[in-house]
Amino acid sequence: MTNEGLPSALTSDPVGKGVPRIDAYEKVTGAAVFADDMQFGPGLYYGRLVRSSYAHALIKRIDASKALEMPGVKAVVTGRDVNTRIGLYLIDRPIFPTDRVRVVGEPVAGVVATSEEIADEAARLVEVEYEELPAVFDPVEAAQPDAPLLHPDLGKYEVANFIFPQPGTNISEHFKLRKGDVESAWPKCTAIVEGTFRLPRIQHVPIEPHVAVSLWEPSGNVTLWTCSQSPFAQRDLIAQSLDIPHGNLRVVSPYVGGGFGGKAGVSTEVYAVVLARAVKGHPVKLRMTREEEFFGTTTRQSLVAHTKIGCDADGNLLAMETAYYFGGGAYNDYGVNIARAAGYSCTGPYDIPNVKGDSYCVYTNEPIGSAMRGFGMPEIHWGIEQIMDQLAEKIRMDPAEFRRRNCVRTGDTILTGMTMPAIDLVACIDKVTEAIRWGTKEEASAPHKKRGKGVAIMWKAPAMPPNPGSSAIVRFNEDATLNVEVGAQDLGQGAFTVVAQMAAQVLGVPYEWVRVSVPVDTKYSPYEWQTVASRITWSTGNAVKAAAEDARRQILEIVADHWDEEPEDLDIKGGKVISYKSEQEQTLKDMVIYGLPNENFEGWKGGPIVGQGRFMPTYVTNLDFETGQGTRAVVHYTVGAQAVDLEIDTETGQVEVLKIASAYDVGKAINPDLVMAQIEGGAVHGMSSAFEVLRFDEAGRPLNSSFVDYRIATSVDAPKEIHGDFVETPLEDGPWGARGVGEHVMVQTAPAMANAIYDALGIRFSALPLSAEKIFLALEERERAGG
Amino acid sequence: MAIHSITVTVNGSREYLTVPSHVTLLQMLRERLALTGTKNGCEAGECGACTVLVDGEPVNSCMMLAVEADGREVTTVEGLAREGQLSPLQEAFVAHNAVQCGFCTPGVLISARALLERNPHPSGEEIREALVGNLCRCTGYLRIVQAVQAAAEEGGAK
Amino acid sequence: MQTPTPGLPAFDYTRPASLSEASQLLAEQAGEARPFMGGTDIFVQMRDGVVRSRTLVDVKHLPGMRDILYDEGMGLTVGAAATMNDAARHPDVQTRYPLLAEAAHSVASYQVRNRATIGGNLCNASPCADASLATLVLEGRVIVYGPGGEREMAVGEFFVGPGETSLQAGEFMTAIRYPVPPVGAAGRYLKLGRSKAGDLAIVSVAVLGFPDEGVPSGYRFRIGLGSVAPTVVRAPQAEAVLMENPPGEETFALAAERAMEAAAPIDDVRASAAYRRAMVRNLALRGLRQVGERIG
Repeated sequence: MTNEGLPSALTSDPVGKGVPRIDAYEKVTGAAVFADDMQFGPGLYYGRLVRSSYAHALIKRIDASKALEMPGVKAVVTGRDVNTRIGLYLIDRPIFPTDRVRVVGEPVAGVVATSEEIADEAARLVEVEYEELPAVFDPVEAAQPDAPLLHPDLGKYEVANFIFPQPGTNISEHFKLRKGDVESAWPKCTAIVEGTFRLPRIQHVPIEPHVAVSLWEPSGNVTLWTCSQSPFAQRDLIAQSLDIPHGNLRVVSPYVGGGFGGKAGVSTEVYAVVLARAVKGHPVKLRMTREEEFFGTTTRQSLVAHTKIGCDADGNLLAMETAYYFGGGAYNDYGVNIARAAGYSCTGPYDIPNVKGDSYCVYTNEPIGSAMRGFGMPEIHWGIEQIMDQLAEKIRMDPAEFRRRNCVRTGDTILTGMTMPAIDLVACIDKVTEAIRWGTKEEASAPHKKRGKGVAIMWKAPAMPPNPGSSAIVRFNEDATLNVEVGAQDLGQGAFTVVAQMAAQVLGVPYEWVRVSVPVDTKYSPYEWQTVASRITWSTGNAVKAAAEDARRQILEIVADHWDEEPEDLDIKGGKVISYKSEQEQTLKDMVIYGLPNENFEGWKGGPIVGQGRFMPTYVTNLDFETGQGTRAVVHYTVGAQAVDLEIDTETGQVEVLKIASAYDVGKAINPDLVMAQIEGGAVHGMSSAFEVLRFDEAGRPLNSSFVDYRIATSVDAPKEIHGDFVETPLEDGPWGARGVGEHVMVQTAPAMANAIYDALGIRFSALPLSAEKIFLALEERERAGG
Repeated sequence: MAIHSITVTVNGSREYLTVPSHVTLLQMLRERLALTGTKNGCEAGECGACTVLVDGEPVNSCMMLAVEADGREVTTVEGLAREGQLSPLQEAFVAHNAVQCGFCTPGVLISARALLERNPHPSGEEIREALVGNLCRCTGYLRIVQAVQAAAEEGGAK
Repeated sequence: MQTPTPGLPAFDYTRPASLSEASQLLAEQAGEARPFMGGTDIFVQMRDGVVRSRTLVDVKHLPGMRDILYDEGMGLTVGAAATMNDAARHPDVQTRYPLLAEAAHSVASYQVRNRATIGGNLCNASPCADASLATLVLEGRVIVYGPGGEREMAVGEFFVGPGETSLQAGEFMTAIRYPVPPVGAAGRYLKLGRSKAGDLAIVSVAVLGFPDEGVPSGYRFRIGLGSVAPTVVRAPQAEAVLMENPPGEETFALAAERAMEAAAPIDDVRASAAYRRAMVRNLALRGLRQVGERIG
C-alpha cells in the first residue's frame, strides 16, 4: 500500500495494518503512569484493611481503641460508619459488614494513617470478636436446602431485571434454558455420554496489584484514582451506594497493568472512597499487597458441571442436558451474570436441537467470584470440549471431524432461539488442525514421554446488559494532530491503538497524528459502559468511527463551501482535503481550529472541529425466564479453535506443551499484529490456567496466596511454538466488520490440553488443575490396576 | 530506628539521601526519587517487576535495602534511553510489539539488558531462562524473546 | 486475619567492621539480632511475621565472606556470602564441583541468584534448599565464627530441623569447605519443581558417584534427598545397595527403591507425600543412570 507521498515514517490508511502501539514509547521508557505512580504530595494518607479470620461468622464487637491511640492514625472506619451495600447486577455486598462476615479475608474495618506502615500496624491492633457460623465451600452443597444460609436477606436486595435469585436459599441466580424436548431425544440417540467436570477458583494475577486513591473534598466533590477497566461503572456503583450525585464523583484511571476482568467491578476502590470520607481533604491511598490481591480482590468462580450429551449414528448431536453450579463466593454481585451467560451459552459452539440447561450461581464462603477473562466460557468449555471428545470417541469419529459436523454455523438457530450471525468456525478448525498436523501421530522426545494432540473450539458473546453504550469525541489541534477521547481503557490489549487507527482511517490523516487521551477521566472522557467482554474494538470502535465521520463531515462541509463545491466530490488524504473535481488542496493545519477566511477576508467560515459519536446496540431482547428463549439474546459471537500438541513425562507427570495452534474469526483485524499478540498471550494464559489453583484449608483460609505457591506461566513454561491465525467473516455492525477476541483466545486451552493428555495417555482428567502429581498418580493407579 | 545517610548513583546522577534501615531500594527509587518506572508487583522477589541493575547486575529491588545501595550504581528503566533516544532493546520491544499492559516491561528490559551484556548472542532458550524471574501475564513471552533476539542482532544492549 | 506487611517491618541495619564485632553484636542482642546477607529468605519471612528481628547485622562484606577459592590440599572454600551466581559461574566450581554449580544455578531466577547466598541457603535450613543438598552430598563442612572463635562441623550436623541450625548465640557462618572431590567423580542435581525452572524443589535428589576399589561394586555413590524430610538427608540404604552390587540398571532400580526409605515426606500445599515418595525413586533412578554413564 502506498503512503500517499507522506514521509516514510507516517502511515496512511492504517486500518488492517500492524502499526506499532500508540503507547509503546511511554511503556518502554517507564514513563507510562500507573495508579501507584501518581504523585499526591505530602498530604497523602494511607489505608489498610482489617480482615476477617473466619469464613462465616457473626460480628459481635469491633474495638478500634488501641488503633486510634497510635500516633499517626487518623481514622478507623467500620460498618457502623458506612452501613450500605454495593453491587452491579445484585446489590448484595455491604461495604463493611455490620452483622456477619462471609469469607476469610473480608474487610470489616479500614484504618487511615499518615504512612502505610502505621496504618498496617494499627490495623493489626483493631480487635474483632466473632461468633463462628457453619460455613460451606462447595457450590453443589451450598445449593441444597439445608446448607448454611449466607444471605438471609436475599429477597430484599435490589436486582437487575434479568437476574433471578431464590430468597431463602444460597442461589443468587438460576438461568433456565429449554429448547426442544430432551426427554424425547434421548431414546433417539445412538450414543450418550455423561460426565461431571470441576474447576477450582483461580485468580487473574495482573502483574499490577489493585491500587486506589481517593479524595473527598469538604465541598462534597469526590475523586477516585484507580487502575480501572470501568471508570464509569465504578462511578455509578459507588455513587449509588454512597449517595453521591454522579456529577460530584470523578473516577480517573491511568494506564492499567493488566485487568483480565479483575479491575472491572468494584473491589478495592470503594474502600478508598469511604476511608477518604473519614479524613476529608486528604487523599487516601489503598494498595493491595500481592498476597491480598490473590484472595482479597476477586477471583474466577469455581464450577461443578454435570453434563449429558447424545448423538445419532451419523454423529449428529441430538440432545444436551446440563447443570452448572458456580461457586459464586461470598458476594455474587457480578457473578450472577456469569452464571446467566453460561446458561445461555451452555451448548458451547454447537448446533444441538434439544437442550435442557440449568445454570446456578451459588453463594459459598469463598472469595468473591467475579468477571475473569472469558466470563464463564473457560469454566463451561472445560467440560463441554471434553465431553464432545468422549462422545466422538464413543461413535468412533475423529474429534475434529465431530466438531466440523456439529459446530454452529451462520444462520443456525442456536439454543436461545437466536439466529447465529455470520461466522466461520469450520475455517478455524481447519486452520488449527493443519497447523498442528492433526492426524499425524508424532513421536515423543524420549522413551519415558508420551505425546498427544487435542483440539477444542469455543464461542463467546459479550455478556452485557441489553443497553451498554460507547461514546467518543474527536478533537483537533492547530497542527492538525488530533485527540481521540474515549471512556474505554487500554489494558494492554491495544484499545487505544485501534481507535487511533480507526480515527485516522476515517479522517484520512496519518496514524501518527492521532493521540488518545490518557488517563480516562469521567470528568472529561465521554461515557463508556465498561472495558470488558471484548467489546471495545466493536463498540467503542463504532463510536470512534462515528465521531471521526462527524468531524470529517464538518471539515468537508466547510471546505466545500469555501470552494463552492459539493462535499461528495471532496476527500481527505494524507491530512489534506482534496477535490476530485477541481484538484484543489486544502491542508487541515490551522483550518481545523481557525476555520477558513472568505475571499478578501470578508468574514470567516468554520471553526474548531469537534466530532462526536456514539454506539449502543438496540436489538438485544429479553429472554423468557422459563425457557431462556428470545429473539436476540446477545449482540454477536466470536468463535475460534485451538489445537495443542504436548508431551507428558510419565516418570514425573509433568506436562510440556510443545505447540499451540489458534485460529479465531475476528471479523476484521484492525491491527493484525495486535490480534496475533492477543492470540499468543491468550494461549499462554489459557495454558497457565490449566495448572493454576487457589487452595484453601478446611476452614476456608487461603493457603497459597503468593507467587511461591501460586505459579503462573513463566518464560520457560510458555510453549516455544504458538501458531496464531485468524479468519475474517465480517461482523454486520462491526467497524470494518471487526469483532472482539481478547478473551476468546484463552477460553478452550485447558480442555484442548485435557484432550491431548487423553490422546497421549488414555486417561481423562475431569477436574482442574492438571498438576503433574495428579497425572502421575493416575498413571500409577492405572498400572497398579493392571491397566 | 536507625537512619543512614547514603550516596547512590542512580542513572548516572548522584543522589544524597537519608533513609531508615528498613526502606527497600524499590521504595527509595519510587517514593524518594519519584522514579516510578520500576514497579511493585509482589514485594517478595518473585515477579521481577522491580528489577534494577546494581553495579550492572540485575536484582529485585524489593529484596534489597536502600542502605545497601550506598556507594553503588543503580540503573533503572529510566536510564536506558539516552537523551530521548531509545536503546536498541527498547526499539526492538516497540517494533516487535513485545509490550502490552507495560507493567512488567521495565523489569524485563533491565533483565534483558544485563543478559545481552553478559551474553551478546543468546539463544531463544537462554533468553527464556534469563527472564524466568520476570513474570508477564499479557504477552505469552513470544514477542519478548523475539525482540531480545532482534536487539542482539542489532549489536546489543546499549 | 493477618497478612504479610506492605514493605518490611522496622528494624536496624548495622555493618560491623570485623568478625569479632559482628559476633559481639549478635551475642549481645541474642534473640533480637540476626546475621544478614542476601535477604531473599529473611525479608519474605519478616513480611510474613515469621521472623522478627530488631537488628540485622550485615556480614557480607567481612573478610573472605564472598571469596571462592580452590586449593589442591583443602579443596574448595566458599565464603558464606558468595551468591548463587558467584558459585554457579565460578570456573573452579564448574569444573571440580559441577553438582554445586548445578544446584546453585537452579535457584529461583537470575535476579534472586545475584542476592541469595550459599551460606544463607544453608542457614535458612529449609529441607528444600538447593545449596544445602549439594553441600550434604559433597560432604561439605561449615565454618562458623562466634564468641569462642572459629569452629567447624560437618554440614549434616549443622542442620537440626526445618528452619533450625546448630548456630549458637553470637555465631554466624563464614564459609563452607568442600573437600577435594574423589577422583573420577561425577554428579547430578535433579530438582523437580512445579515449573520447569524458577521454582523451589518439590523433591530434589543429588547423586554423586565415583570409582572406589575398596568396595565390592567398585563404585561408591552418595545420594541426597531434599524436601522429603525435616532436613536434607542422605539415603544410606540406597548407598549400601550401590556399594554391594555392580552398577547397572538393575542395581540402580533397586537403589532407587531403597532411597524411598530415607524419605519421610509430608502432605502440604505443594505436593502429597505419596507423590514425593515416588519422585524420590524416579529422580534417584534418573540421576543414577546419568551419573553411571559418566563414571563408566
